[in-house]
Amino acid sequence: MIATSNVQRPTSNVERGEAAAPFSIGWRILAIIIGGLFIYAGVIKVLDPVGFAGDIDNYKTLPWPIGVRLAFYLPWLEILCGLALITRVLYRGGVFILTVLMAVFIVATIVAKARGLDISCGCFGHASQYLSFAWHLALDFLLLGGLLFLWRTPLPKDGATA
Amino acid sequence: MKTLLRQSLLLIGLALLPAAGQALYYRDKVSWQTPVAASEMVTLPQAQSWSADTIWIDARPQDEFEREHVPGALLLNEDRWNELLPQVLAVWAPEKRVVIYCSSESCGSSREIAHRLRKEAGLTNVFVLEGGWEAWKKEKQ
Amino acid sequence: MNAKRILFLSVVSLWIAATAPAALVWEKTTVELNPALGAPSAVGVFKYENKGNTAVHFKGAPRTSCGCTVAALQKNEVAPGEKGEITATFNIGDRTGVQMKTITVETDDPQNPTTVLTLKANIAQLLELQPAFVFWQAGEEAKPKTILAKAGKGVTLKNVEVTSSSGDFTARVEPGPAGQFKINVQPKDTGKALNATLTVKPDAGTGAAKVYYAQARVMPPGTAKP
Repeated sequence: MIATSNVQRPTSNVERGEAAAPFSIGWRILAIIIGGLFIYAGVIKVLDPVGFAGDIDNYKTLPWPIGVRLAFYLPWLEILCGLALITRVLYRGGVFILTVLMAVFIVATIVAKARGLDISCGCFGHASQYLSFAWHLALDFLLLGGLLFLWRTPLPKDGATA
Repeated sequence: MKTLLRQSLLLIGLALLPAAGQALYYRDKVSWQTPVAASEMVTLPQAQSWSADTIWIDARPQDEFEREHVPGALLLNEDRWNELLPQVLAVWAPEKRVVIYCSSESCGSSREIAHRLRKEAGLTNVFVLEGGWEAWKKEKQ
Repeated sequence: MNAKRILFLSVVSLWIAATAPAALVWEKTTVELNPALGAPSAVGVFKYENKGNTAVHFKGAPRTSCGCTVAALQKNEVAPGEKGEITATFNIGDRTGVQMKTITVETDDPQNPTTVLTLKANIAQLLELQPAFVFWQAGEEAKPKTILAKAGKGVTLKNVEVTSSSGDFTARVEPGPAGQFKINVQPKDTGKALNATLTVKPDAGTGAAKVYYAQARVMPPGTAKP
């Protein structure tokens, strides 16, 4: 479709608005789905920050004053990163941050369960409460996997600004 | 690598803006230093920040309720406990919070109602509104 | 010299005034009542006497701690040597257990401007349901849950009759330990939201036919706990 010079480089030079051959529509859809999920998760938490603060506190890893401030901050970070995935603006940063967040969250969840704590995820609000722990973990790993895939896809040459 | 760092920092910084704005809005509605105590009292700002499916209960005498009450609140007092309890139980669910208020005239009532709901009906997440009806009225002005 | 005298006299009179006995004396400031089973109200009488030599006046109507208690004065003025009483009527409603209600009386008696009278009522219970509410989450196994029907103090239960307001729930009664009765409630299925009021009629051999209620529910789907 697009004649790309410098094919030996992993990241291809693209004209603004045109997709490079490796960056097919499939990856784009994956990015939109995952980005959308994180935006959804973020919005749910923005609507009930006190509830999210309580969920963070249930993990008993952070002191309350830190947890409650994170409860106000993290959802917005999620939303912005989700938007980054969809619009491909600040895309790499978005994928990177979300990957780190997911990894930390998965570890925290496993540790909390091992400690026998009663955590009700809090990731998708109380909509996900009827998922059992195993299913929850599976979904989390799926998301992490998806993010890692997106991480490895060739990306438009960054320099694009908001 | 440099771009990655730059982009990440940009996102991290940008997210601070709406977060700070929201925290400002909630500055009086949240306990910043200590987690909400496991006590049964809740302040009006806290109760108002809870989700919309919180159940509000008016523990005052019927005539006071009929004159004016928190919109959507259910009447439940000790005069007609047996008759009024079913309508409360019909809407309760374990993940919903219950906020009970009374007036300074009858303020022992909220705690009594809270106690009975916990003990007899086994409900959880039952709270008593600090300042009662008066606090709510004052906030509305 | 004069100043010292005045000071001395004022101190003495103050001392006399402070230690003078109260004019209005109450026979009892706490009255305990044991209303009969099922009685709608309980009445307590607080007697007083003016043992001073000036008339005592009540300031305004007595204040009660809850709208369920009303207290009435016989009259506002109590002449020296006169006796009287304040009647407090406690409308029991659906209250249970030991109930304490206070009546605050204000007078112009300098020794005792405010007196708090206490009405203590032991509300007899025919039956206690433990718990009064049973519920199943959507999709939870439709196993029966038990409500324990316990007799009140001094009451012996012969039997307990339970009817459900909806056929979606069945209620079976079986005798339990220590004269109690077990009410086993079971929903037909837990796939959808259900709600029923169980009417419990205890038979204790007394004439009193008081009816108690319990509630059974199946929560709507989509609101299950983790």
